[in-house]
Amino acid sequence: MSSLIAYYPGNSLIHRLDPRVKIIFMVIISTALFMVNDISVALVVMLIMLAVWFIARLPFSVLGGFIKVLVPIIGFLFIVQAIFYPGETALIKPLIPIGKGIGQVTLEGILFAVLLSLRLIAMIIMFPMVSFTTPVQNFALGMVKIGLPYTLAYTLTTALNLVPILQTETSVIVDAQRLRAMQSFEKGKMIDKLKSYPALVTPLVIGSMRRAQLMAVAMDSRAFGATKSRTYLEDISMRTVDWIILIGTFVFAIAIVVVSSVL
Amino acid sequence: MNKNNEPPAIEFIDVSYRYPRSSRWVVTHLDLKIHKGEFVAIMGENGASKSTICQMMNGIIPNSIGGRLVGQVLTHGLDTKESGIAVLATKVGIVLEDPETQLFTTTVRSEVAFGPENLNLEPDEIEERIRWALDIVRLSGFEERMPSSLSGGQKQRLAIAANIAMRPDILVLDEATSQLDPVGVEEVLSVVRELNQKYGMTIIMATDASEMIAKLMDRVIVLNQGQLEADGTPHQIFSNKTLFQKLMIRSPQVSQLASQMETANHPFASFPITVDEAKKGISELLGTTNGSSNDEESINRPKRDHKQVAIQVENLDYIYQPLNVHAVKGISFNIYQGEFVAVIGQNGSGKTTVLKNLLGLLRPTSGTVMVCGQDTKTTAVAEMARHVGFVLQNPDQQLFADTVSEEVAFGPKNLGLEKSAIAERVATALELVGLEDKGEEFPPALAKGDRAKVVIASALALDPEVVILDEPTTGQDYRGCHQIMQIAQSLHDQGRTVVFVTHHMALVAEYAQRVIVLSGGKVLLDDVTEAVFSKPEVVRQAHIIPPQITELGQSLPIDYNLPRTPLTVDAMYQAIMNRFPDKAGAVSG
Repeated sequence: MSSLIAYYPGNSLIHRLDPRVKIIFMVIISTALFMVNDISVALVVMLIMLAVWFIARLPFSVLGGFIKVLVPIIGFLFIVQAIFYPGETALIKPLIPIGKGIGQVTLEGILFAVLLSLRLIAMIIMFPMVSFTTPVQNFALGMVKIGLPYTLAYTLTTALNLVPILQTETSVIVDAQRLRAMQSFEKGKMIDKLKSYPALVTPLVIGSMRRAQLMAVAMDSRAFGATKSRTYLEDISMRTVDWIILIGTFVFAIAIVVVSSVL
Repeated sequence: MNKNNEPPAIEFIDVSYRYPRSSRWVVTHLDLKIHKGEFVAIMGENGASKSTICQMMNGIIPNSIGGRLVGQVLTHGLDTKESGIAVLATKVGIVLEDPETQLFTTTVRSEVAFGPENLNLEPDEIEERIRWALDIVRLSGFEERMPSSLSGGQKQRLAIAANIAMRPDILVLDEATSQLDPVGVEEVLSVVRELNQKYGMTIIMATDASEMIAKLMDRVIVLNQGQLEADGTPHQIFSNKTLFQKLMIRSPQVSQLASQMETANHPFASFPITVDEAKKGISELLGTTNGSSNDEESINRPKRDHKQVAIQVENLDYIYQPLNVHAVKGISFNIYQGEFVAVIGQNGSGKTTVLKNLLGLLRPTSGTVMVCGQDTKTTAVAEMARHVGFVLQNPDQQLFADTVSEEVAFGPKNLGLEKSAIAERVATALELVGLEDKGEEFPPALAKGDRAKVVIASALALDPEVVILDEPTTGQDYRGCHQIMQIAQSLHDQGRTVVFVTHHMALVAEYAQRVIVLSGGKVLLDDVTEAVFSKPEVVRQAHIIPPQITELGQSLPIDYNLPRTPLTVDAMYQAIMNRFPDKAGAVSG
């Protein structure tokens, strides 16, 4: 699976947006999404996210990879909701009645599962869409302009930056242990999987600590945090289109919450 | 060359140091002066504290790392302990071994801007410095590229640009070329040399690449366990035989040859450290010509008809998805049982992809890979592990157990063997790598060479027919390299098939029977080692430079009747000794 955090160079409208707008967009829309409890509205939000993905000219194959990972989670959601959602309209009667609603597959349960899945998919489109179109240093700059101290902003983004590196590292470690005949991560019982965790986690933790230490050496050597204020070569500024989209974000967020509560 | 009243660029005055939470002094009473404009190499075995000393030069030790530093480290007369990182960053730049730990941003331009931005410089000034720095490292035009898309040599040049943009007059390179292919090394060196010669920058490189030291540097400092062992010109250092007997560090191959000749009482008139000097020395030693020349060299190729195939690769194509990267383009080769094969090529030539296909970690996009009769397309990786042992480049990516024995037992346990069988496997494997006394030790606490041996033992405990080693010597010192290759040799002697990938051409020449050169996802050459290195202009396309002793053989006039493509110092030595009537020294080897 591709990493959720990476940068795909491009020159689309989304790429050129001020990172502050993208950060705020992400926060506001995810909050609003959780208040949306209507399937049609959630579907619209998801379709809009897909459209934005298209506008950003990001590869759909990568998105497909993320959705594939979501499939078991969605499946799990359906089963749980089907069994535990206290609904009225029974579709399948339970074999053993446990209590009111529990254990019977209801229409309400299914619909709720659909709603959750739509929210989830919308989010899984939105997060990489923002991270794929924003260079890490602009993320940091956005945070600084929003008011975070720059050492903190850079530390956060550097940590984000480590995610894809750690993913690669993890797959190297998994491969190495599989080549020592470790089967449990392909098949095997849960207990075997748990038992083999140290074989993965120990090298990963030791390696990450070593890497973090070297990164600190490299950053300090380049005067990181030396002065309180700092120059930003790529200054960001809000253009008209940024303001329009920022205002649009708020309007959209309010609209979906209101509409879904009315419906 | 230094003016008397100017303070040295770097001065260590009776410096001792220990890391935080450690009671061991890793540097003891070190006195050292490096003058402005010098081009200095720091050599030493792993554990000599080269990195520690590099990081002291720009004050990272002790300012960021902590620990206890006694004595004084001065850069341009400034005490590093009392100077802020902003001041030190403008005095001393440092380039580290691993490019990934020192590049943090998403464009070349912003990477170079990072330091100057931290110094709070004016935007115009920063723009000017980016232009200047990228021009020097020859990355102009790469401004908008992502650092992760660059080659190894380009990444290290970018790291240099990012440092010199802060206008230091000292640049420290801590093993900065040791992960690069030979052409990447040349790229970095030509930049560093220009910084030294044209801009008068003081350059300090921790490295064991002695051939390059001989060619470029003014001075060599040899460290031994945190103490100064020797200090002199490359000529003085490399001709010092007792030094090389005491420490396992590597002198240039022509110097090794000269030392052997000296011992055999046929010394060169002046001690050579470069190919040109050795060429001159040999012509003085042997006189000009002797007439008889055999210009057609006969190369023996082993017959393989009756041997069984261990690895069969047919029309292997591999495309990485989702980005559609065509990494391997329809290659075919067979590796026969008991062969000792090196796979070489620059970074990005497809080596790793081919290797992963052999191991079943990747499944061919098209074509077939059969290893020990197993089709990797249909065989589970854990099943492949019974047939193929894999030794990873970085041992720390797989060590996890509390003791060496447990670590080695992991594989056999996974196979579900009986307790007694596991114990037997572990004992055999540890003996093979020479760690039989270290079974109860904690793997991460071992020296780097020993950690690599634990990884090899772990692979051997599965008793594989084929052993594949992926750059097993990266980050190892001379001692470590040879110990690892000796183990590989003993596996070959046992009749196992050994395949290794490396950038280390002297090791390829010395150990491999056969070399497969990959370039651009295709097989460029596939032949016995001697035949491959006899075509330097072809292998160069794959960013490979033959070892120095081979270069010497090829540069000598044909009528000297010495080997054209000597693979080892010893081969050349024997050939020269055969020209003397008294063959006293020739037998010893």
